[in-house]
Amino acid sequence: MKILILNGNPPGGKGQIDSYIDRLVEKMKSAGHDVTAITLRDHKISPCIGCFQCWVKTPGICSIDDDARDITRQFIAAQYVILASPLMMGFPSFLLKNAMDRNICIVHPHLEEVDGEVHHKKRYDRYPVISLLLEKEADTDEEDIDILKDIFRRQAVNMWSSVGFIHFTESPVEEIIHAITVH
Amino acid sequence: MQLLFINASPRGAKSNTGILMGHFIRGFLETSGNACDVEYLVKHKNNLKILAEKFNASDNVIIGFPLYIDAMPGSVKAFMEALAPLQGRKEFPALGFMIQCGFPETAHLRFVARYCEKFTRRIGCRFLGSILKGGCEGLDVQPTFLTEKYFSLFGMLGVDFGKTGKIDEVILTKLARPEHLSAENMAMVVPFINQGLWDAQMEKNGVLDRSFDRPLMP
Repeated sequence: MKILILNGNPPGGKGQIDSYIDRLVEKMKSAGHDVTAITLRDHKISPCIGCFQCWVKTPGICSIDDDARDITRQFIAAQYVILASPLMMGFPSFLLKNAMDRNICIVHPHLEEVDGEVHHKKRYDRYPVISLLLEKEADTDEEDIDILKDIFRRQAVNMWSSVGFIHFTESPVEEIIHAITVH
Repeated sequence: MQLLFINASPRGAKSNTGILMGHFIRGFLETSGNACDVEYLVKHKNNLKILAEKFNASDNVIIGFPLYIDAMPGSVKAFMEALAPLQGRKEFPALGFMIQCGFPETAHLRFVARYCEKFTRRIGCRFLGSILKGGCEGLDVQPTFLTEKYFSLFGMLGVDFGKTGKIDEVILTKLARPEHLSAENMAMVVPFINQGLWDAQMEKNGVLDRSFDRPLMP
């Protein structure tokens, strides 16, 4: 399977998530997966400026020419995307959010009904399954996790993705390998 | 009463968030003695420290932003992270949010609003509330008959907040309509947005026939 991991760990590479991803990539490769891990802090990803040129001027292409363009290309080419980040104030890092914000060019501005709500139309035929790999903070509680799960599920709907797993770095790498294999 | 309004729209001053903010502040300033500072987050993007200090020194703060893929824009998250070192201080502002989206239903905003409330508690501020409004893309080109009613509600919310220091629940409920669209409304609203808002811009740019292009197709 073609897997993309976006690592949103901030500069300095805090906590356990970098080494967790290293182990995960190694295991995935030995399981025969085609895996790429991108460490977002090493790339130039400007925030989305809400200009909507990717919808109304150059359909499907962001107006900002930086590393996010190639990340979006890899995102749409992958079958499975893992969004990885330590929780910071109860949410994945701004690095990861900036990278995700730049992906709106993969959908179309037109709205349509999806399960009784308005969402954007598809641009591509297929979209990757998306999953979350998170590292808890000292004060992470059930409420945080519920909020995250709900927002993440909605993001998946808006990106025409399905939700894979939501895992924390405290669970063994093998559980993720298993979750991907059975998907 | 003192208020710091942080317009955290990535579009800065020329934003839908700014239009709504303007109506709210106009109402807020009707009470004599009230003072409001406006800061634009985009102007602080290279150094968030000064804005974080200003946040800490305020009595009341409202952060306004548009919904970006079901949550706050990345730049707003960066500011929230910059506030983390202030966690646990004794003197903190009361904190509220003004969140808008292009989707016509308010339902889309409920999830990030839950996060904002939790964020407020985590950092140790008193929570003022979240002002939520859908249908806000292209406010400057939307016809007046669509906008005048809720622009005046934003003004009333500001007046009331300026007097009481509270965000009025009754007005919030009025603003939040429609929470969901009926099938009938959807059949009316969706083509209106698709053609009136999006196709019109694509046509102007000469790309309407390429609107479904797939330039990143593997």
